[in-house]
Amino acid sequence: MSKDPIHDIQDPYEPELGSFDDVAEQDSDAVNKTGTTTVGIATENGVVIGTDRRASLGGRFVSNKNVTKVEQIHPTAALTLVGSVGGAQSFIRTLRSEANLYESRRGHPMSIHALATLAGNFARGGPFIAINPILGGVDEEGSHVYSIDPAGGVMQDDYTVTGSGMQLAHGALEGEYDESLSLEEATSLAARAVQAATERDTGSGNGFVTATITEDGVEIDKYDDVTELL
Amino acid sequence: MQGNQQQAYDRGITIFSPDGRLYQVEYAREAVKRGSASLGIRTADGVVLAADRQTRSPLIEEESIEKIHEVDEHVGIASAGHVADARQLVDFARRQAQVEQLRYEEQIGIETLAKRTTDHIQQYTQTGGARPFGVALLLGGIENGEPRLFEADPSGTPYEWKAVAIGGGREDIQKHLEDEYDPEMDLAGGITLALEALAAADEDIEPDSVHLATVDTETEEFDTLSTEELEEYAAEADLGGEDDE
Repeated sequence: MSKDPIHDIQDPYEPELGSFDDVAEQDSDAVNKTGTTTVGIATENGVVIGTDRRASLGGRFVSNKNVTKVEQIHPTAALTLVGSVGGAQSFIRTLRSEANLYESRRGHPMSIHALATLAGNFARGGPFIAINPILGGVDEEGSHVYSIDPAGGVMQDDYTVTGSGMQLAHGALEGEYDESLSLEEATSLAARAVQAATERDTGSGNGFVTATITEDGVEIDKYDDVTELL
Repeated sequence: MQGNQQQAYDRGITIFSPDGRLYQVEYAREAVKRGSASLGIRTADGVVLAADRQTRSPLIEEESIEKIHEVDEHVGIASAGHVADARQLVDFARRQAQVEQLRYEEQIGIETLAKRTTDHIQQYTQTGGARPFGVALLLGGIENGEPRLFEADPSGTPYEWKAVAIGGGREDIQKHLEDEYDPEMDLAGGITLALEALAAADEDIEPDSVHLATVDTETEEFDTLSTEELEEYAAEADLGGEDDE
């Protein structure tokens, strides 16, 4: 930006550290993608996120069977990896450093709405290419689930699904959601939705990971077999 | 000899004197004292910002003397010192408030705004070719339902206050605030105290030369009081105005 030694106003669409320089177009067949089914469900007591564990190349070859596709990015929020693995990992690192800086400067963590807005700005203006994550978090206002699309669209809902198994998982979720679900019931519902998708979607499979987010923090659990939770 | 020595150290803003002083920053503080006074009072119901608009001539339009500025719906700034320097900082603060909306879609916190502004001021005490801002600011507003009041001085140090005065006559006003401040008072009590405190430094102060604004905890909105409203408060407190011979 400017060569002026006096730092003026921060660019609202750029990260605090580093910059969004253009990245070269990549050979899409060589890029690891998550394919994926990721589900986020908001309840009164917290948020449950469920994902499969498969990474694939071009949707035809399973390149990894043990991917943790949900990561903590904030004391009480987690984000799923959906789309290009490299883009999603970089997106997570960027948001995590932003959330850390915000909290250390201001003495309180970012609200989930602020985090979702920032994530939308970065998805829109950044070099993360094809990512479509779910953001789940808990703050003073309660439980929140957002989906973030590759163009920076930010949409809040009670429950949402992203990834190649989206339609199958939605089929399992529709009509089953209730805001009074307990965390255990929500975990079981997320497992059913991911299970439905892994049966028929070639981009999803190889087990199940959950993130349970409450006002106390984020807990991530891995399961080799989804049926353990059904 | 002493004089020469001092001159050598006050030429460059980035040069310390041997006893560790930055003369340019101290001179900037003197510039603040040459300005007419502003004050801020934090009450349970909101923040009061008030300023004495000294006029050079009865022909000047008082409205054009800018000492209190709305920064965003929920926050205002009062200044003392160089008005032109204050305008630059007020615009910086206004842009910061909107950056917060663009980046997080949230209202900027008063503490964050104050610290962003003082960090900006600080850079003008450490950058070659720059001159410090000859102005002090009071930033007052509502953050998470709580009234907050910060001072920014030309060194770029942020201070939080319950009640504070800056500018010419600061000592008398501050003394009055220290004697009379009550943390339980309501917004109306804060307005009355603001007028009394300004009168402590300038007995002849008239309500029409006072600029006073509030940010109410309930509405979280910046609001400027009209001269008529100020006259009512002044009459009630038996201050200034025509009815006081």
